[in-house]
Amino acid sequence: MNYAQIADAYEKIEATPKRLEMTDLLVELLKNTPVNLIGKVVYLTQGKLYPDFEGIEMGIAEKLAIKALARVSGSRESEIEEDLKKSGDIGETAQAFIAKKKQSTFFQKALTVQRVYELLDKMAKTSGSGAVDSKMALLSGLLSDASPKEAKYILRTVTGSLRLGIADMTVLDALAIAYGGGKETREFIERAYNISSDLGKVANIVAEKGLEGIKKYKVEVFEPIRPMLAERLASPEEILDKLGGKCVAEYKYDGERIQLHKKGNEVVLFSRRLEKISNQYPDAIELVKKCVNAEEAILEGECVAMDLETGEMRPFQELMHRRRKYGIEQAMVQYPVSLFMFDALFVDGEDLTREPYLVRRKALEQVIVKSDKIILAKNVKVGNVKQLEEFFEEAIEDGCEGLMCKAIGKESVYQAGARGWQWIKYKRDYKSEMTDTVDLVVVGAFHGRGKRAGAYGALLLATYNKEKDTFETVTKCGTGFTDKDLAIFPEMLQRHEIPRKHSRVQSTFEADVWFEPAVVLEILGAEITLSPIHLCAMDSIRKGSGLAIRFPRFTGKYRTDKAAEDATTSMEIVEMYRGQLKKIGES
Amino acid sequence: MFKLKVTDAKLLRDMATAISILVDEATFKIEPDGLKLRAMDPSRVAMIDFEWPKTIFEEYVCNEPTKMCINISELLKLLKRASKDEAVELSLDDKTGRLQVKITGKYSRDFTMPTLEASEEEVPTPKIAFNVKAKTTTQGLSQAIEDAQLVSDHVRIEADPEKLVLNAAGDLMGATITLQKGNDALLELEAKEGSKATFSLSYLAEIIKAASATSDIATLEFSTDMPIRIDFQQQKEGKLTFFLAPRIETD
Repeated sequence: MNYAQIADAYEKIEATPKRLEMTDLLVELLKNTPVNLIGKVVYLTQGKLYPDFEGIEMGIAEKLAIKALARVSGSRESEIEEDLKKSGDIGETAQAFIAKKKQSTFFQKALTVQRVYELLDKMAKTSGSGAVDSKMALLSGLLSDASPKEAKYILRTVTGSLRLGIADMTVLDALAIAYGGGKETREFIERAYNISSDLGKVANIVAEKGLEGIKKYKVEVFEPIRPMLAERLASPEEILDKLGGKCVAEYKYDGERIQLHKKGNEVVLFSRRLEKISNQYPDAIELVKKCVNAEEAILEGECVAMDLETGEMRPFQELMHRRRKYGIEQAMVQYPVSLFMFDALFVDGEDLTREPYLVRRKALEQVIVKSDKIILAKNVKVGNVKQLEEFFEEAIEDGCEGLMCKAIGKESVYQAGARGWQWIKYKRDYKSEMTDTVDLVVVGAFHGRGKRAGAYGALLLATYNKEKDTFETVTKCGTGFTDKDLAIFPEMLQRHEIPRKHSRVQSTFEADVWFEPAVVLEILGAEITLSPIHLCAMDSIRKGSGLAIRFPRFTGKYRTDKAAEDATTSMEIVEMYRGQLKKIGES
Repeated sequence: MFKLKVTDAKLLRDMATAISILVDEATFKIEPDGLKLRAMDPSRVAMIDFEWPKTIFEEYVCNEPTKMCINISELLKLLKRASKDEAVELSLDDKTGRLQVKITGKYSRDFTMPTLEASEEEVPTPKIAFNVKAKTTTQGLSQAIEDAQLVSDHVRIEADPEKLVLNAAGDLMGATITLQKGNDALLELEAKEGSKATFSLSYLAEIIKAASATSDIATLEFSTDMPIRIDFQQQKEGKLTFFLAPRIETD
């Protein structure tokens, strides 16, 4: 098969804005493609050589494409750059310059699809010293045999700007019509795609083995399953309504969604976008090897940055320090992670994607050997708005983004690759970012763990309620303490230690140690949130909720100049909350 | 079994340099009477035809004809480690398929590098009736090309029975370089009829620069709008010839 056929098809596809026509053109192309090339042609029409999860990109810079074009066409780079400025499209420019090619060659060979694919593949895999020269040579070789039209699409392909607008679903439709026996067979082909994330492979199978072959397609470890996605609603009433009055509400952790694949001692992690991200999380890989009690498994969870000293979750931004190529060892120590597991899709030969949620959750519970660092996502069954609201506030305060509400009926299967109403996100519409520090009173403390065993791990802090003359807890803080601070705390606080909660302290927490309100510390938080547990300014924003400070950090300043009654008041927190309230954009 | 040895590393280095300007992966034909290579650059604009008889080498062993493909710039990196007057020995390990590069002199180094899958493509040399044949000093030719490069990226080469003229025209500047019969740079000139053809200066400059290290005399042969053949005279029966396809000026 000649590449010219593909270029002709591209040209026609590009010219039509109608999806149905596009599908017809694609059907024609696929029918004219020899069976052994179907997969490759499918990848090429999407401007790719492999499924995305392989992470192989052509990555030819425009500069290099211009150089090759100059060499082959016999025109100056400056002329080409000039033209490119006008056209804004390397493809158009290539077409024009190859059409008025000044440099003759010794001979030309027709470009076959096979050869184009092989050379593109070679380009993509060339790396190391001298790679630029090799890529340039390979690209020049392709261009010297290309017609103007072929050159247009080759250069768009290598620079990642093919953009024919052929959606995955259009390819699936075309495959159904060309090889499945009709458009109505798409669901079977789509299913195979949803569990393999590999359009080329699916195309090969349906072309070679027909509909029966594709129906037999099974989940396989190391082939990522396209993730199930959630809808979003802002009110708990609507959520419960959609889910038939009851659901399982699950913490929506503020981390990176991970699909882990395990076979024996081999583990691969895929991101939500199905990129391989194993390199970023060697610690998570070890964890999976140790704590997933199955020979083969595909599980989903959220990878979250943790504060080892307090056992608290850190914000998503801190996890981003792990998104790097070098220095992972160091980042692993600075930004340790935990895995919060929430779904099981495949365990020891059994495809669970067609099972309802509760069955999958049970399978997950059986396969995870719980430890400090691999934890089942916290969830509760809820049947009314109040329960949902409370659990939501708890989730926010624990450092989560919100809740994922999941249907629990028979129909609650894992809908790979689909966004549906089986899962509904409940996130906040507003958040109140803190810009100023506050001065809070130490009213209690918790024993430390790990490195802080024997010292205080976290302090329970309160605001002053002037009207009632009480101290109301507003946050638990374990961050920002230096070793020196940790040594000073007992000395400073033991004088104020009392056997039980002070009568002026309002708290739902049971601290390990209680103090009379005396010591004031300066604290900087990330935001102020509604809280079902902290009692600061209870009922003043919403009935039944207090206010809490999220992600608090001790600034290092001891406010010895302040008495407990000089601390930030609850009313001041209310004003800060209102003053900073901003709508959250959908991200 | 294949093995060759030179007492002066420069010989091999210059050879590899000349080849590397056109090809990255070079497939050598190793024959009992010598080493051969014919290849085209990836864009198929230029061609190299190279032959070195066994007599050029200090030592040359080849029991049966074979092909060997190597990454020439990688080999060049190794050869650059040898200083002048150091000896170099190349041998192909039949078992591992690796090329061994042994450099001896001030001390000794044994490098090995992989061989690649040999290209099966046979490159024919173009059959062209040339109307002009001009023998120049390599140095003189090289200077003329550098002159032309100042003003343009391509050059028209013209000849009549009296002179060889290089004409370069850029957007703003122009240059005419004349090699008259009797000039030091022009050793011989035969022109059956007046001829002219245009060539890319970047190719010409690279070829002449790389080949000039191996040769003092260059022979140009061309006809109107046909490829040019440039032969660089080698010691003994060695051959280093380039072909370059012309530019077609439509305007």
